[in-house]
Amino acid sequence: MTLTRRQFTQRTLGALGAAGLFPAGSAIAGRTDQMNILCWEGYNTDEVLGPFRKAHPGAAVRAESGTSDPDMINKLRAGEVNVWDLINVNQPWARGQLYPAGLIKPLNKERFEPYFEKMLPEFAAPYPLAYADDGNLIGMPQRYGPFSFVVNTDKISRETAEDQGWKLFLDPAMKGRYGVLTYDNWNIIHMCLTADLNPFAPIDGAGQAAFKAVAEQIFGNAKLLTDDLVAMNTALINGEIDAYFTGGTYTASPARYDGATNVRGITPSSGPVDGKGGVVWIELTSAVNNPDPSPLAEDFLEFVQQPDICKAVAFTEGTYNPIAQMANPEVRARFDTEELDAIQMDSLEEEMARSLDYQIVPSYDALIDIYTQARRS
Amino acid sequence: MKSIDHKLGFLNALPLTLVLGVSFLMPLLVIAGFSVMPQKVFSLLHLPDFSSFAVILKQGYYKSLLWSLGMAAAATVILFVICWPLAYGMAKVFGRFSLVLTIAVVMTLFVSENIRLFGWSLTLMKGGLFEGHMRAWFGVGFDGLLYNVPIIIFGLVYVYFPFMLFPLAQGISMVPDDARQAATDLGATRLQVLRHIDLPLAAPGIMVGSLLTFVLAAGAAAESKILGGQAVIVIADDVETAFTFGQNWPLGAALSLILILIIGAIAVYGISKVDLDAIMGRKGR
Repeated sequence: MTLTRRQFTQRTLGALGAAGLFPAGSAIAGRTDQMNILCWEGYNTDEVLGPFRKAHPGAAVRAESGTSDPDMINKLRAGEVNVWDLINVNQPWARGQLYPAGLIKPLNKERFEPYFEKMLPEFAAPYPLAYADDGNLIGMPQRYGPFSFVVNTDKISRETAEDQGWKLFLDPAMKGRYGVLTYDNWNIIHMCLTADLNPFAPIDGAGQAAFKAVAEQIFGNAKLLTDDLVAMNTALINGEIDAYFTGGTYTASPARYDGATNVRGITPSSGPVDGKGGVVWIELTSAVNNPDPSPLAEDFLEFVQQPDICKAVAFTEGTYNPIAQMANPEVRARFDTEELDAIQMDSLEEEMARSLDYQIVPSYDALIDIYTQARRS
Repeated sequence: MKSIDHKLGFLNALPLTLVLGVSFLMPLLVIAGFSVMPQKVFSLLHLPDFSSFAVILKQGYYKSLLWSLGMAAAATVILFVICWPLAYGMAKVFGRFSLVLTIAVVMTLFVSENIRLFGWSLTLMKGGLFEGHMRAWFGVGFDGLLYNVPIIIFGLVYVYFPFMLFPLAQGISMVPDDARQAATDLGATRLQVLRHIDLPLAAPGIMVGSLLTFVLAAGAAAESKILGGQAVIVIADDVETAFTFGQNWPLGAALSLILILIIGAIAVYGISKVDLDAIMGRKGR
């Protein structure tokens, strides 16, 4: 045997080192001392988390912002339900993907239903989009906004854009004068509306053919495609383009707050579904179905209903958005004129009245295939 | 006892081999596993049906693949042509100035790729740094230079420049000056020296640089997104869409697997053609 003592020690240490890479089980127990939030930008800022941390000095509160709903959902699907306590996504993803897959769990109705009374009339209880089909309350709404398309009002007037609606993008004169913001799930909804289809009802073969024609024309005549709203706003302000397909207060507000008030989110004045042609997004913040849940999660959901925190969530870094709690005069008083103009408060109510709620798209699977194919061609 | 002695090398390497196997191969195996699952499932506990590959064939995904590979190849060739003289200078001519050049090129890597590309976007767009100045100074404006295929290739060339330059300089530094001088003494022209001395002897560096840039460029998405306005859709973009908005992990996995296999085959072929030990400085002869 030529195995020396030194070799033996080296190898044993090597094996121990390797074992260290695979820690057996988790040593963390008792989640009262931590809470993790997976959210769109806003809930992760110091303005929101700072006061909450102060109120819970012993707890480690962590938040991470995602850049798309499906990215965040993929994290939970990949096993991160053990990590997160709250998730903040647009409501169709909560109702259509997260709840059916058992990734989020119902909220305590007695505790949270009273908050709906302080919200804008659109969200009055029982606000259907916060509930699953089985009647459970699955999330709390806060930020929302009309989301259709955006124009440079120096080039295309608001009236013209609203009157023409989605057909604006089919006008041959618009060839090479607009961009497509590639929020794919939104583009699909908007292309359905452009093709006079109801995206929230099943779409048959003839409808899919109409959708295909619209998708090909919109991609074919677009000057640029990007999923970056800053790049898109820059192109709009610099005159590379005069409008962009898919956008709204969420994407226009940063440019408007910077003084470019000629950038404006447009809601078509008419459309194919009950006379409506616009769409509105609404975020829901839901409790993740964590096997070892943190009791702080529901505390945080209550905490973000306070007026100061509402304002901080609405005016976060990056984008600015209306919030459901603005019906409360205490909340409303915290916004100044410029801020209200950035989120197009002057037309918010009428835009909401002309907008459909963003819902699950039943033919999404077929449409995304057609969509990605049209995008490649 | 003798037999254990023979296996000691293998046994010593075993723990690390296992760690590498688990951390490097497992993700690839998971991708391979998902690629044969039925559409839109989120676990590997289904019977394989290979439907993703049928979808890829039917729905024209080959276009994105060809664009990615084609633009990567173009960028690699352009980079080789640009970098060769510079790398030659760094290895043989510049002396201590090479260090300044190295630091200058490496510094750019400290800034995120997206930010650098966005800088180019602001420079080249209509009303941007370039066109804006032209219009202000000479009164002639023109359309922005963005949103087309050449600008995407420009972005690839710009971003992957260091990945070609440094291996190339390393490769050229391996060419012995004696061999060049001997060739010249024997009456070889400059072109002949390049063809018969420089290129073959620097081949490991050329291969490493080309593979690095090609592999990275084939999987790149930011250049097409930020500069190209997605004038063409690259394969990395299709993978991302399948995993995210498509919520179709098997399709995304199958697209990734195809890209991995193509690039893997090219890399293995390329590496088999050159003596990599030489550039690693381990040539034990």
